[in-house]
Amino acid sequence: MEPLLTLESITVPGRDSPRLEGVSLQLWPGERVALLGASGAGKSTLLSVANGLISPQAGRVLWMGHPPAPSRRLRRRQQAGIGTLWQDLRLIEELTVQQNLNSARLAHWPWHRAWLNLLFPLETLANRVALAQVDLESDLLAAPVAALSGGQRQRVAIARLLRQDALLWLLDEPLASLDPRRARDVLGLILRLGRAPRALLFSLHRPDLLEGFDRVIGLRQGQLCFDLPAASLEQVHLRELYAGSHLSHG
Amino acid sequence: MAEPQNASQPFWRGVSLALPLTLLVPSLVLLPIGLLVPRLVHGGGIDLIGRFLLAALHPSLEASVLNSALSGLVVTLAMALLGWAVSLLGGILLGLASSRTLWTTCAGQSWPANGFRRLLALPRSIHELLWGLLLLQLLGLRPVVAVAAIAIPYSALVARVVADLLDGLEITRLEALRCGGAPAPGALLTALGPPLLPGLMSYGGYRLECALRSATLLGVFGLGGLGTELRLTLQSLEFRELWTGLWLLFIAMLLMEGTLAALRRRWLAPRRLRLSNPIPANRGRRLESAGQELLVVLIVLLPLCWLLAGTLDVRWSDLLRIQPLPPMGAPDWPRVLALPWLTLVANTLLLTSLAAALAIGLAPFSLLLVAPWPAARSLLRFCWALGRLWPPPLSALLLLFVLQPGLLTAALALGFHNLGILGRLLLESVEEAPSGPREALELMGSGSRLGLLYGSFSAVARSYLAYGAYRADVMLRETVVVGLVGATGLGSQLLESLTAFAWDQLLALVVVYATLTLLGEDLSDRLRRKLQGPPTTAVCTNA
Repeated sequence: MEPLLTLESITVPGRDSPRLEGVSLQLWPGERVALLGASGAGKSTLLSVANGLISPQAGRVLWMGHPPAPSRRLRRRQQAGIGTLWQDLRLIEELTVQQNLNSARLAHWPWHRAWLNLLFPLETLANRVALAQVDLESDLLAAPVAALSGGQRQRVAIARLLRQDALLWLLDEPLASLDPRRARDVLGLILRLGRAPRALLFSLHRPDLLEGFDRVIGLRQGQLCFDLPAASLEQVHLRELYAGSHLSHG
Repeated sequence: MAEPQNASQPFWRGVSLALPLTLLVPSLVLLPIGLLVPRLVHGGGIDLIGRFLLAALHPSLEASVLNSALSGLVVTLAMALLGWAVSLLGGILLGLASSRTLWTTCAGQSWPANGFRRLLALPRSIHELLWGLLLLQLLGLRPVVAVAAIAIPYSALVARVVADLLDGLEITRLEALRCGGAPAPGALLTALGPPLLPGLMSYGGYRLECALRSATLLGVFGLGGLGTELRLTLQSLEFRELWTGLWLLFIAMLLMEGTLAALRRRWLAPRRLRLSNPIPANRGRRLESAGQELLVVLIVLLPLCWLLAGTLDVRWSDLLRIQPLPPMGAPDWPRVLALPWLTLVANTLLLTSLAAALAIGLAPFSLLLVAPWPAARSLLRFCWALGRLWPPPLSALLLLFVLQPGLLTAALALGFHNLGILGRLLLESVEEAPSGPREALELMGSGSRLGLLYGSFSAVARSYLAYGAYRADVMLRETVVVGLVGATGLGSQLLESLTAFAWDQLLALVVVYATLTLLGEDLSDRLRRKLQGPPTTAVCTNA
């Protein structure tokens, strides 16, 4: 079996010190990996390298054993297999929920279908199913995203990940702005939906939410601090990870 | 494929045009244009067009040509600066006089403001070229003519914007000061001055860019400066000399645009698409220093304008020295009525619609085409800059080398010029729009074209179309400048009547033109308000 994602000795320069320095890791199908670290530890940079937004200065990124494809078409196909849930969600406010969900299919659609999506409601059934999976009513499909509440938007963003049908989910602190109860709800939903063969790399601020993860990776000042099975994680690791910074317990 | 939401409804009931598509709808005009243009080609001047394009690569660098172009450029810049300065001063004063808020605060009633607004509608509705030609007939060729031709309509335009900005401001702070016993002038200045300043600075800068274009245009019609040089070299087919002037103008325009953009950023003035943007509350100190720096700029500008007016021999008293006019006979109203009014008006509207659709639609369309290639985007930016500075009558003359005169030729010339203005604005908006949604789409594998269409065009569509509506209104005014191509409606007839000293016809034409322009302005205002309204209302609040 091939790892879904391989990062080899990744280095990304920063203004004063490197944002990432010699970070290596592998992510296997079905794995749920939590990424821990204080603010500025390099979690978001790592996810940006993983999804191709940032090209590392040194090191290699392999998706399913392959480096980023040189041709634009193949690269797009590769990227369609990697889904990202951003903290700011990055939905298109001016379009409807339906059009936003369909925007995750653009990589797979022929051009005329991509244009028709801006005229007709396409693939309504699949979108209804995706909304139901995130516990939203299907009558929201025709609503503009700008008209949704914060909680609804977050669920729509998760539904968009489902519609993308990506094998690798990169989650960039999606729980950061949520209250503890809602954070647990959303985390539960993501863990439920992101089950095997999907793999999750979940950037977290809070070590108290590690239940349900198989593996925990700690990043400190751009370097790998630890990479352990979740069951082996102990307070000593966390103390080392957060030494000199505030440890959030939610 | 398409699945309507309710199977019992016909499929078209579920159709709705999403924002990114509305941006591209005007580009459908390319279909009829693409079909009609080949029929207009006479092909006689294709080699001339080739020579013209080749000459861009090796403009004449002879000392005499350079000297002549440089002195022409200085005159054009001086005309622009003087016209702009006068219009800004006059426009601010007239704008204050047209402000309902100001009249209500000072005198308790707003009807004088409405009176001023109506009064200013006439000078605003007549294009600066027409003002220039009218003043030229009345006063003869004097330096003051070009300056006044720019200053008159621009003052009225600035006045309207100042009044609208002022009346659109929140008056709660003003009310608070008035309740505290502050006198009206002091309260107005304190409460409304600072929030008015950024919008005013932004619009003032924009008008200076417009003034440079107008001064060049007036030159094309014989009012002096580089425009005159450009027209003469084009008509004598001296393309290398033409490009010498054109490149100099290009550099001057880019320098001016760059400086104004830098000042806009430094002074936190909003971009033109969002004149009414509130200034962030924590930027008070920056705003204060912007005000001080603005004052310094004005102090420098004042003697500069004085010096330029002296150098160009601009004497305001010349405006009162009307030269003897050819004898005017009794008005021949039956002959005026016999003009083909319906055709003239219809052609004017058709020309405006074609040019507007071309300019508004082609900018997003071409951006989409070049989306995957950043270098091509730079090329597009360059072409648009050329389009902005290249006066439409010269484009029309150039097009006449290969196309027959007529409405479509005029529309292409007008559309190309406005494409330069709208394209730049769209590109700036796209670059300043939040990049998150576009990035997210591209990372999902959408590709750069669809990323731009879905992610960026959605965000800028409303403001771009609103600005397009305003620009269409400007194009209606500008139809007169391509009148020389013939058969282009009221513009051609106006130029004809003006040359023939047919004052009765001229009067009637100006009245019809002004009415049409004001109606267009009203329509564009309504459209703009509709487009810039609240995008959505909260429909769901739970979850």
